[in-house]
Amino acid sequence: MARIGFPSALITAPRLILGALFIMSGFEKLLDLKFFGLVIAEYQILPSLLIPAAALILSLCELLCGTMLLLDLFSRVSSSIMLCMMAIFIAAMTYNVMRGLEHECGCFEFLTQWYGLKEEIGIGPIVRDILFFILLLPIALSGSNRIPWKKQQG
Amino acid sequence: MSGKPLRRTLIASVLLISIVSPLALQLHAATPVAIAKDESGELNLSATKALFDTHSACFVDARSEYAYHKLHIKGARSLSDSRFDEQFPEFRQKLPIETLIVVYCSEPSCAKARHVAKKLRKNGYKNVRVYSGGLVEWAHAGFPMEG
Repeated sequence: MARIGFPSALITAPRLILGALFIMSGFEKLLDLKFFGLVIAEYQILPSLLIPAAALILSLCELLCGTMLLLDLFSRVSSSIMLCMMAIFIAAMTYNVMRGLEHECGCFEFLTQWYGLKEEIGIGPIVRDILFFILLLPIALSGSNRIPWKKQQG
Repeated sequence: MSGKPLRRTLIASVLLISIVSPLALQLHAATPVAIAKDESGELNLSATKALFDTHSACFVDARSEYAYHKLHIKGARSLSDSRFDEQFPEFRQKLPIETLIVVYCSEPSCAKARHVAKKLRKNGYKNVRVYSGGLVEWAHAGFPMEG
């Protein structure tokens, strides 16, 4: 299958930045899964029974995909998974903003702790996730799927 | 008994009562269980603290559950405005209908406490008060919190 050619900087830089960001975000969520579960509950989209599992899966996905992006390990697969997650986050936030709900977005809680930034759902986090979606696209389309320590054949 | 001493006694009694009763009222107001209210009919900080100290009320946090999870008034229960219907059945099981409930949220401008108080009254709890100062005022006063 023919792959779209993107300049390598357009793949490497977002891969490293987003990889690091997702590792921090996933790790932080895993440290306080209950808090993340309560934020998911506030979205009022999932049934209560599924919330603990969703909190665990989303946190693990962020941590694992972030690590794989940073190490350039199956970057296409991990960025594709993150693309799906970004699409879900954008849809969920947009839906709740339209419903007039006000709550934490559950995105990057460390930004609140470090810089005092408000991490509530709204235009800001939606635009940020759209930007992440755009940055992930080149990696998903033409990033590498190789294992870096294996020598390429041919 | 002649009329004069009786009249004197009556006048003395009326005077004594009129002097003592305001003092008695003040004393009553100073007791910890007295529920002092501000102009809007909601509890102020000192009245809320008095109820907290005497353990005579159940404190209810009307903010989101995640906010409660991070920080709340010591011993308070969570009953969020946003997920009231999901949380209320368990709350109802644990708290008898006659319990004095003090509802609070983050600050005076936050309407969640009033909404939850209204919903509680609608569900049979008649003894519901709102602490309008909220967690910000409570924290500023250095009163006990946990989370």
